[in-house]
Amino acid sequence: MTRSIILFISISVSLHSQEDLLGLIDDNPKTIPVMATFKATRIVNAQSIEMPKPRILEFVILHRFGSMANGAYDLFGMDEAVIRFDLEYGFSDRLSIGIGRSSLNKTYDIFSKLKIVDQRTGHRSFPISLVLFTKMEIETIMKDMDMQDRYTYDVQFLLAKKLNRSLSLQLMPTFIHRNLVETHNDHHDLISLGIGGRIKMTRRTSINFDTFFPIGKRGETYKQGWGIGYDIETGGHVFQLMVTNARGSFESEYIENASGAFEDLNLYLGFNISRAFYL
Amino acid sequence: MNKKLIILFFFTPLIAKDIYYTRSGIVSFFSSTPIEDIKAINEQTTCVLDMDNGDVSFRIPILGFNFKNGLMQEHFNENYLESDIYPHAGFKGNIDNWEQINLSEQPQAVSLTGIMTIHGVSKEIVETGKISIKDGKVNGIATFKIVVADYNIKIPKIVRQNIAEIVEVTVKLDLKKK
Repeated sequence: MTRSIILFISISVSLHSQEDLLGLIDDNPKTIPVMATFKATRIVNAQSIEMPKPRILEFVILHRFGSMANGAYDLFGMDEAVIRFDLEYGFSDRLSIGIGRSSLNKTYDIFSKLKIVDQRTGHRSFPISLVLFTKMEIETIMKDMDMQDRYTYDVQFLLAKKLNRSLSLQLMPTFIHRNLVETHNDHHDLISLGIGGRIKMTRRTSINFDTFFPIGKRGETYKQGWGIGYDIETGGHVFQLMVTNARGSFESEYIENASGAFEDLNLYLGFNISRAFYL
Repeated sequence: MNKKLIILFFFTPLIAKDIYYTRSGIVSFFSSTPIEDIKAINEQTTCVLDMDNGDVSFRIPILGFNFKNGLMQEHFNENYLESDIYPHAGFKGNIDNWEQINLSEQPQAVSLTGIMTIHGVSKEIVETGKISIKDGKVNGIATFKIVVADYNIKIPKIVRQNIAEIVEVTVKLDLKKK
């Protein structure tokens, strides 16, 4: 009896010995950064917490067609286009700076993303990522206006959480200052709260949305800006297809100056294509 | 008396274990195509060698692979190795003919048999390497090839010209006594 117990124990111990081999060594505590909260630097229209990785220059073409209201006559707006180019460079894991040019009002802009904190799991975990986005826009369209009236400023805090593999959400408290407003009733300083997110469909595709809720009063023509998109990622490219009610793909336009509505299908189709160059 | 005997037997395998290990083993891989060479290096590999019977275990954290290009590193984790689901690769096996091997400063060829697990797929492999002992440290090196498709890692058509179907893996270890 005793012998069989001993035999049993020593067999079971030796059977398990290899399983235990790694268990004999304690693993170092690790902090794991959460990566790929979003596929691209934009959710749809809105800026995401993603920024070009260090030494990567990202070139983005943001293309919005005309209104779909005329239907087949102008092929759902495809005869017209508002186009924007972005060039954004990753200086480090925490800082990227970009320049852009939009055909709408011939607007140039310069912008930066500063990562304040990263979402992490493991040893020193942290629940969210926080990025400060700042931007200055300047209209250069020929028009009788003072130089200082051409500037618009934008500050956003981007708070994002990757809840799981497929679901990421982002909150965007936003402050926009316009040096020039159209009427006395319009405010120079505008505050809004943006919400965006994505649901990953496959390893390389996702459905995205974003919108900005106004805080405080807006003029009569104001419409809440929103966009719904579909991301396709392959290697160094991200291709984003979308429907949105905003014509311009820069902040003061898609947040405060959206014009389209569901009535009469007065919405815009569009796409963003990004290409990463490793320098 | 019997009780003591049982306890003794129970602990014998643990006490007697002559273990060498590292937590900073180096595993690197190299993918080469006419268009692009991709290299990544991981210096966080845990490896344990049982000197009594030649059993070897590896644990390789996928997130520990460093690429020069951060975007590639992200894609490696997100799209190919899916490190959120499969955080580690591993190997569990045995150095063949361990009893007949006399470790010396001179590296000698050995073969390893065991189960390699990558991306949640386990596969029995036999690979060769070299092993030696110097200043109380066991050194191991090995270079072998991995067929990416064997581990259910899918490379989309559009980047097939950039990523090799067979990658070369190099392992370098410096094991110290526990």
